[in-house]
Amino acid sequence: MTLRIPLYLAIAQWALLGALGVLVIVLFRQLGRLLRGTATAAELGPVIGSRAAGLSYLRPGEQVPRKLAPGTGQPALIAFVDPTCPSCEQLVLTLDQLQAAGDLAAVRVLLLISDPASYLQISEAFSATELEIGRPSDPAGLESYRVTGTPLLVAVDASGMVTATGSAIRAAEVRRYIQASLGSTQAPAVAPAAVVRGEGTA
Amino acid sequence: MPTPVLVAVLSCKAVIAVLLLAAGGAKLADLSGFASTVRLFLPRPARARSPQLAAGIAVGELAAGAVSLSVPQARWPSLVVLAVCVAFALTWSVGYVRHRGRSCRCFGALSAREFDQAGVVRAGVLVLAALAAAAPVPVLSVQLGLGGRLALLAGGALIAGATCSAAAAAGPRQALARRAMSRQAL
Repeated sequence: MTLRIPLYLAIAQWALLGALGVLVIVLFRQLGRLLRGTATAAELGPVIGSRAAGLSYLRPGEQVPRKLAPGTGQPALIAFVDPTCPSCEQLVLTLDQLQAAGDLAAVRVLLLISDPASYLQISEAFSATELEIGRPSDPAGLESYRVTGTPLLVAVDASGMVTATGSAIRAAEVRRYIQASLGSTQAPAVAPAAVVRGEGTA
Repeated sequence: MPTPVLVAVLSCKAVIAVLLLAAGGAKLADLSGFASTVRLFLPRPARARSPQLAAGIAVGELAAGAVSLSVPQARWPSLVVLAVCVAFALTWSVGYVRHRGRSCRCFGALSAREFDQAGVVRAGVLVLAALAAAAPVPVLSVQLGLGGRLALLAGGALIAGATCSAAAAAGPRQALARRAMSRQAL
Protein backbone atom coordinates (compact mmCIF):
# COMPACT_ATOMS: atom_id res chain seq x y z
CA MET A 1 0.00 0.00 0.00
CA THR A 2 1.39 3.43 -0.94
CA LEU A 3 0.73 6.44 1.24
CA ARG A 4 0.11 9.49 -0.94
CA ILE A 5 0.41 12.88 0.71
CA PRO A 6 -0.01 16.24 -0.97
CA LEU A 7 3.28 17.72 -2.15
CA TYR A 8 2.72 20.86 -0.06
CA LEU A 9 2.40 18.86 3.16
CA ALA A 10 5.76 17.19 2.53
CA ILE A 11 7.46 20.51 1.73
CA ALA A 12 5.90 22.30 4.72
CA GLN A 13 7.11 19.52 7.00
CA TRP A 14 10.65 20.02 5.73
CA ALA A 15 10.35 23.78 6.24
CA LEU A 16 9.22 23.25 9.83
CA LEU A 17 11.99 20.75 10.38
CA GLY A 18 14.52 23.22 8.98
CA ALA A 19 13.29 25.93 11.34
CA LEU A 20 13.56 23.52 14.22
CA GLY A 21 17.15 22.76 13.17
CA VAL A 22 17.99 26.48 13.19
CA LEU A 23 16.49 26.78 16.66
CA VAL A 24 18.66 23.91 17.88
CA ILE A 25 21.72 25.80 16.58
CA VAL A 26 20.50 28.94 18.40
CA LEU A 27 20.13 26.85 21.55
CA PHE A 28 23.72 25.62 21.32
CA ARG A 29 25.00 29.14 20.70
CA GLN A 30 23.12 30.40 23.75
CA LEU A 31 24.57 27.57 25.77
CA GLY A 32 28.05 28.48 24.54
CA ARG A 33 27.55 32.13 25.50
CA LEU A 34 26.30 31.07 28.91
CA LEU A 35 29.40 28.98 29.50
CA ARG A 36 31.83 31.76 28.57
CA GLY A 37 29.64 34.52 30.07
CA THR A 38 32.13 35.48 32.78
CA ALA A 39 34.92 36.08 30.32
CA THR A 40 32.76 38.35 28.15
CA ALA A 41 31.54 40.38 31.12
CA ALA A 42 35.13 41.23 31.95
CA GLU A 43 35.50 42.91 28.55
CA LEU A 44 32.85 45.53 29.32
CA GLY A 45 33.74 48.87 30.84
CA PRO A 46 37.00 50.31 32.12
CA VAL A 47 39.23 48.39 34.50
CA ILE A 48 38.17 48.89 38.11
CA GLY A 49 40.91 50.65 40.02
CA SER A 50 42.31 52.36 36.93
CA ARG A 51 42.32 56.12 36.41
CA ALA A 52 39.27 57.27 34.43
CA ALA A 53 40.23 58.95 31.19
CA GLY A 54 39.07 62.46 30.43
CA LEU A 55 36.34 62.84 27.83
CA SER A 56 35.18 65.64 25.60
CA TYR A 57 31.57 65.75 24.52
CA LEU A 58 29.05 67.94 22.78
CA ARG A 59 25.75 68.77 24.41
CA PRO A 60 22.75 68.79 22.03
CA GLY A 61 22.56 72.09 20.17
CA GLU A 62 26.04 73.21 21.25
CA GLN A 63 29.05 73.54 18.98
CA VAL A 64 31.79 73.87 21.56
CA PRO A 65 32.85 70.62 23.22
CA ARG A 66 32.80 70.35 27.00
CA LYS A 67 35.25 68.31 28.98
CA LEU A 68 34.80 65.75 31.68
CA ALA A 69 37.98 65.68 33.69
CA PRO A 70 37.82 63.01 36.38
CA GLY A 71 39.87 63.59 39.51
CA THR A 72 38.98 67.21 40.08
CA GLY A 73 37.37 66.51 43.43
CA GLN A 74 33.84 65.63 42.39
CA PRO A 75 32.64 62.04 42.13
CA ALA A 76 31.02 61.20 38.81
CA LEU A 77 28.63 58.65 37.45
CA ILE A 78 29.03 58.24 33.70
CA ALA A 79 26.21 56.42 31.94
CA PHE A 80 26.75 55.26 28.37
CA VAL A 81 23.22 55.04 27.04
CA ASP A 82 21.24 55.34 23.82
CA PRO A 83 17.71 56.54 23.09
CA THR A 84 17.15 53.51 20.85
CA CYS A 85 17.98 51.06 23.64
CA PRO A 86 14.95 50.14 25.81
CA SER A 87 17.07 49.22 28.84
CA CYS A 88 18.80 52.60 28.61
CA GLU A 89 15.42 54.34 28.76
CA GLN A 90 14.64 52.44 31.95
CA LEU A 91 18.00 53.46 33.39
CA VAL A 92 17.35 57.13 32.56
CA LEU A 93 13.93 56.92 34.26
CA THR A 94 15.61 55.37 37.31
CA LEU A 95 18.24 58.13 37.38
CA ASP A 96 15.48 60.74 37.16
CA GLN A 97 13.74 59.15 40.15
CA LEU A 98 17.00 59.09 42.11
CA GLN A 99 17.63 62.72 41.26
CA ALA A 100 14.14 63.68 42.43
CA ALA A 101 14.84 61.80 45.67
CA GLY A 102 18.09 63.73 46.12
CA ASP A 103 20.33 60.68 45.79
CA LEU A 104 22.42 62.28 43.05
CA ALA A 105 23.12 65.55 44.87
CA ALA A 106 26.79 64.83 45.55
CA VAL A 107 27.55 63.13 42.24
CA ARG A 108 27.97 64.56 38.77
CA VAL A 109 25.88 62.48 36.40
CA LEU A 110 26.64 62.50 32.68
CA LEU A 111 24.67 60.58 30.08
CA LEU A 112 26.79 59.88 27.01
CA ILE A 113 25.00 58.76 23.86
CA SER A 114 26.27 57.40 20.56
CA ASP A 115 23.03 57.92 18.64
CA PRO A 116 22.71 61.28 16.87
CA ALA A 117 21.22 64.01 19.07
CA SER A 118 18.07 64.03 16.90
CA TYR A 119 17.23 60.59 18.33
CA LEU A 120 16.71 62.12 21.77
CA GLN A 121 13.26 63.26 20.64
CA ILE A 122 12.29 59.69 19.81
CA SER A 123 12.48 58.63 23.44
CA GLU A 124 10.19 60.16 26.04
CA ALA A 125 12.64 59.34 28.82
CA PHE A 126 15.54 61.05 27.07
CA SER A 127 13.59 64.08 25.92
CA ALA A 128 12.16 64.65 29.42
CA THR A 129 15.24 64.12 31.55
CA GLU A 130 17.01 67.09 33.11
CA LEU A 131 20.26 65.19 33.51
CA GLU A 132 23.23 66.33 31.46
CA ILE A 133 23.41 64.60 28.08
CA GLY A 134 26.35 64.66 25.72
CA ARG A 135 27.77 62.91 22.70
CA PRO A 136 31.47 62.08 22.67
CA SER A 137 33.24 64.39 20.25
CA ASP A 138 36.73 62.97 20.42
CA PRO A 139 37.86 59.32 20.43
CA ALA A 140 40.69 60.18 22.80
CA GLY A 141 40.03 58.52 26.11
CA LEU A 142 36.90 56.74 24.96
CA GLU A 143 38.70 53.52 24.07
CA SER A 144 39.66 52.89 27.68
CA TYR A 145 35.98 52.84 28.67
CA ARG A 146 35.42 49.77 26.48
CA VAL A 147 31.82 50.58 25.65
CA THR A 148 30.88 47.36 23.89
CA GLY A 149 27.26 47.63 24.96
CA THR A 150 24.70 49.89 26.53
CA PRO A 151 23.61 50.71 29.18
CA LEU A 152 27.01 50.92 30.83
CA LEU A 153 27.53 52.68 34.15
CA VAL A 154 30.95 53.83 35.29
CA ALA A 155 31.42 55.13 38.83
CA VAL A 156 34.38 57.44 39.26
CA ASP A 157 35.42 58.68 42.70
CA ALA A 158 36.65 62.15 43.62
CA SER A 159 40.25 61.21 42.92
CA GLY A 160 39.38 60.09 39.38
CA MET A 161 39.64 56.35 39.95
CA VAL A 162 37.11 53.92 38.48
CA THR A 163 35.39 52.28 41.46
CA ALA A 164 32.63 50.31 39.75
CA THR A 165 31.51 49.48 36.26
CA GLY A 166 28.77 47.41 34.71
CA SER A 167 25.15 47.50 33.73
CA ALA A 168 22.24 48.40 35.99
CA ILE A 169 18.64 49.45 35.64
CA ARG A 170 16.90 49.20 39.01
CA ALA A 171 17.26 51.92 41.64
CA ALA A 172 18.85 49.61 44.20
CA GLU A 173 21.54 48.61 41.70
CA VAL A 174 22.20 52.18 40.60
CA ARG A 175 22.50 53.29 44.25
CA ARG A 176 25.42 50.90 44.64
CA TYR A 177 27.21 52.68 41.82
CA ILE A 178 26.48 56.03 43.45
CA GLN A 179 27.91 54.73 46.73
CA ALA A 180 30.91 53.39 44.85
CA SER A 181 31.59 56.82 43.33
CA LEU A 182 31.21 58.47 46.73
CA GLY A 183 33.34 55.77 48.29
CA SER A 184 36.62 57.56 48.83
CA THR A 185 35.09 60.79 50.13
CA GLN A 186 31.96 59.89 52.09
CA ALA A 187 30.48 56.45 52.34
CA PRO A 188 32.52 53.27 52.68
CA ALA A 189 33.27 52.02 49.21
CA VAL A 190 31.52 49.07 47.75
CA ALA A 191 34.22 46.52 47.15
CA PRO A 192 34.72 46.59 43.37
CA ALA A 193 34.53 42.83 43.17
CA ALA A 194 31.18 42.94 44.91
CA VAL A 195 29.57 45.19 42.36
CA VAL A 196 26.99 43.00 40.77
CA ARG A 197 26.84 43.43 37.07
CA GLY A 198 23.37 44.13 35.78
CA GLU A 199 20.92 42.03 33.84
CA GLY A 200 22.50 43.00 30.58
CA THR A 201 25.83 41.42 31.19
CA ALA A 202 27.00 40.07 27.87
CA MET B 1 3.31 23.42 -14.09
CA PRO B 2 6.63 21.49 -14.18
CA THR B 3 7.39 19.69 -10.93
CA PRO B 4 10.61 21.63 -10.06
CA VAL B 5 8.74 24.93 -10.46
CA LEU B 6 5.85 23.61 -8.38
CA VAL B 7 8.28 22.51 -5.66
CA ALA B 8 9.94 25.96 -5.72
CA VAL B 9 6.61 27.77 -5.46
CA LEU B 10 5.37 25.59 -2.61
CA SER B 11 8.75 25.89 -0.87
CA CYS B 12 8.52 29.69 -1.01
CA LYS B 13 5.02 29.50 0.45
CA ALA B 14 6.01 27.19 3.30
CA VAL B 15 9.32 28.89 4.13
CA ILE B 16 7.79 32.38 4.27
CA ALA B 17 4.97 31.11 6.48
CA VAL B 18 7.47 29.52 8.87
CA LEU B 19 9.61 32.70 8.84
CA LEU B 20 6.58 34.78 9.77
CA LEU B 21 5.75 32.41 12.64
CA ALA B 22 9.32 32.54 13.94
CA ALA B 23 9.56 36.32 13.61
CA GLY B 24 6.21 36.85 15.32
CA GLY B 25 7.09 34.50 18.17
CA ALA B 26 10.49 36.15 18.73
CA LYS B 27 9.00 39.65 18.69
CA LEU B 28 6.38 38.67 21.28
CA ALA B 29 9.19 37.79 23.70
CA ASP B 30 10.72 41.27 23.42
CA LEU B 31 7.84 43.63 22.70
CA SER B 32 9.44 46.63 24.42
CA GLY B 33 12.60 46.21 22.35
CA PHE B 34 10.65 45.89 19.13
CA ALA B 35 8.48 48.87 20.13
CA SER B 36 11.61 51.01 20.33
CA THR B 37 12.34 50.11 16.69
CA VAL B 38 8.72 50.75 15.65
CA ARG B 39 8.99 54.18 17.29
CA LEU B 40 11.72 55.14 14.83
CA PHE B 41 9.19 55.01 12.01
CA LEU B 42 6.31 56.83 13.67
CA PRO B 43 5.56 60.55 13.71
CA ARG B 44 5.85 62.14 17.15
CA PRO B 45 2.10 62.14 18.03
CA ALA B 46 1.84 58.41 17.32
CA ARG B 47 4.98 57.34 19.22
CA ALA B 48 3.06 56.67 22.42
CA ARG B 49 1.19 53.96 20.53
CA SER B 50 4.33 52.08 19.56
CA PRO B 51 3.88 49.24 22.14
CA GLN B 52 0.38 48.49 20.85
CA LEU B 53 1.53 48.71 17.25
CA ALA B 54 4.49 46.43 17.98
CA ALA B 55 2.16 43.87 19.57
CA GLY B 56 -0.20 44.19 16.59
CA ILE B 57 2.63 43.53 14.12
CA ALA B 58 3.84 40.48 16.08
CA VAL B 59 0.34 39.01 16.36
CA GLY B 60 -0.34 39.85 12.71
CA GLU B 61 2.79 37.99 11.64
CA LEU B 62 1.77 34.96 13.69
CA ALA B 63 -1.74 34.99 12.22
CA ALA B 64 -0.53 35.46 8.63
CA GLY B 65 2.06 32.71 9.07
CA ALA B 66 -0.40 30.28 10.63
CA VAL B 67 -3.10 30.83 7.99
CA SER B 68 -0.63 30.76 5.11
CA LEU B 69 0.91 27.54 6.40
CA SER B 70 -2.29 25.65 7.13
CA VAL B 71 -4.62 26.90 4.38
CA PRO B 72 -2.36 26.68 1.32
CA GLN B 73 -5.19 26.22 -1.17
CA ALA B 74 -6.65 29.67 -0.49
CA ARG B 75 -5.19 32.47 -2.60
CA TRP B 76 -5.88 35.42 -0.29
CA PRO B 77 -3.40 34.45 2.47
CA SER B 78 -0.65 34.46 -0.14
CA LEU B 79 -1.66 37.96 -1.20
CA VAL B 80 -1.72 39.11 2.44
CA VAL B 81 1.75 37.64 2.94
CA LEU B 82 2.92 39.40 -0.24
CA ALA B 83 1.58 42.71 1.12
CA VAL B 84 3.35 42.06 4.44
CA CYS B 85 6.65 41.34 2.64
CA VAL B 86 6.31 44.50 0.53
CA ALA B 87 5.71 46.45 3.76
CA PHE B 88 8.85 44.88 5.25
CA ALA B 89 10.89 45.82 2.17
CA LEU B 90 9.64 49.42 2.34
CA THR B 91 10.42 49.59 6.06
CA TRP B 92 13.92 48.23 5.46
CA SER B 93 14.52 50.75 2.70
CA VAL B 94 13.39 53.65 4.90
CA GLY B 95 15.39 52.19 7.78
CA TYR B 96 18.48 51.96 5.59
CA VAL B 97 18.12 55.57 4.45
CA ARG B 98 17.13 57.19 7.75
CA HIS B 99 18.26 54.89 10.56
CA ARG B 100 21.29 53.09 9.19
CA GLY B 101 23.12 51.09 11.85
CA ARG B 102 20.14 50.88 14.25
CA SER B 103 18.92 47.44 15.20
CA CYS B 104 15.80 46.18 13.37
CA ARG B 105 14.90 43.58 16.02
CA CYS B 106 13.12 41.62 13.27
CA PHE B 107 13.61 38.45 15.29
CA GLY B 108 13.40 40.15 18.66
CA ALA B 109 16.38 39.54 20.89
CA LEU B 110 17.56 36.71 18.62
CA SER B 111 18.68 39.10 15.92
CA ALA B 112 21.34 41.75 16.16
CA ARG B 113 20.94 42.72 12.52
CA GLU B 114 20.95 46.40 11.71
CA PHE B 115 19.42 48.39 8.88
CA ASP B 116 22.04 47.90 6.19
CA GLN B 117 22.37 47.26 2.49
CA ALA B 118 22.36 43.48 2.86
CA GLY B 119 19.07 43.75 4.73
CA VAL B 120 17.48 45.68 1.88
CA VAL B 121 18.62 42.95 -0.53
CA ARG B 122 17.22 40.26 1.79
CA ALA B 123 13.90 42.11 1.97
CA GLY B 124 13.85 42.29 -1.84
CA VAL B 125 14.46 38.55 -2.09
CA LEU B 126 11.63 37.99 0.39
CA VAL B 127 9.26 40.01 -1.82
CA LEU B 128 10.29 37.94 -4.87
CA ALA B 129 9.70 34.74 -2.91
CA ALA B 130 6.29 36.01 -1.76
CA LEU B 131 5.46 36.84 -5.38
CA ALA B 132 6.37 33.31 -6.40
CA ALA B 133 4.36 31.90 -3.51
CA ALA B 134 1.29 33.78 -4.72
CA ALA B 135 1.37 31.98 -8.07
CA PRO B 136 -1.59 29.66 -8.70
CA VAL B 137 -0.78 25.97 -8.20
CA PRO B 138 -2.64 22.73 -9.01
CA VAL B 139 -5.30 22.12 -6.38
CA LEU B 140 -4.24 18.53 -5.90
CA SER B 141 -0.79 19.52 -4.64
CA VAL B 142 -2.17 21.70 -1.84
CA GLN B 143 -5.32 19.87 -0.89
CA LEU B 144 -5.06 19.14 2.81
CA GLY B 145 -7.44 17.29 5.07
CA LEU B 146 -8.30 18.47 8.57
CA GLY B 147 -5.60 16.22 10.02
CA GLY B 148 -2.93 17.70 7.75
CA ARG B 149 -3.95 21.26 8.59
CA LEU B 150 -3.97 20.57 12.31
CA ALA B 151 -0.58 18.89 12.08
CA LEU B 152 0.88 21.91 10.27
CA LEU B 153 -0.73 24.28 12.77
CA ALA B 154 0.76 22.26 15.62
CA GLY B 155 4.18 22.37 13.94
CA GLY B 156 3.84 26.11 13.41
CA ALA B 157 2.83 26.63 17.03
CA LEU B 158 5.85 24.63 18.12
CA ILE B 159 8.17 26.82 16.03
CA ALA B 160 6.57 30.05 17.27
CA GLY B 161 6.69 28.87 20.88
CA ALA B 162 10.28 27.66 20.65
CA THR B 163 11.41 30.91 19.00
CA CYS B 164 9.59 32.95 21.63
CA SER B 165 11.27 30.94 24.36
CA ALA B 166 14.72 31.24 22.75
CA ALA B 167 14.26 35.00 22.30
CA ALA B 168 13.16 35.37 25.91
CA ALA B 169 16.28 33.51 27.02
CA ALA B 170 18.43 35.78 24.85
CA GLY B 171 16.63 38.88 26.17
CA PRO B 172 18.92 39.75 29.08
CA ARG B 173 21.98 39.45 26.86
CA GLN B 174 20.47 41.69 24.24
CA ALA B 175 19.26 44.15 26.88
CA LEU B 176 22.82 45.26 26.69
CA ALA B 177 22.55 46.63 23.18
CA ARG B 178 25.74 45.77 21.39
CA ARG B 179 27.40 49.01 20.60
CA ALA B 180 30.97 49.87 19.93
CA MET B 181 30.45 53.46 21.01
CA SER B 182 34.01 54.49 20.33
CA ARG B 183 33.65 53.58 16.67
CA GLN B 184 30.04 54.40 15.97
CA ALA B 185 29.66 57.67 17.80
CA LEU B 186 32.43 59.49 16.06
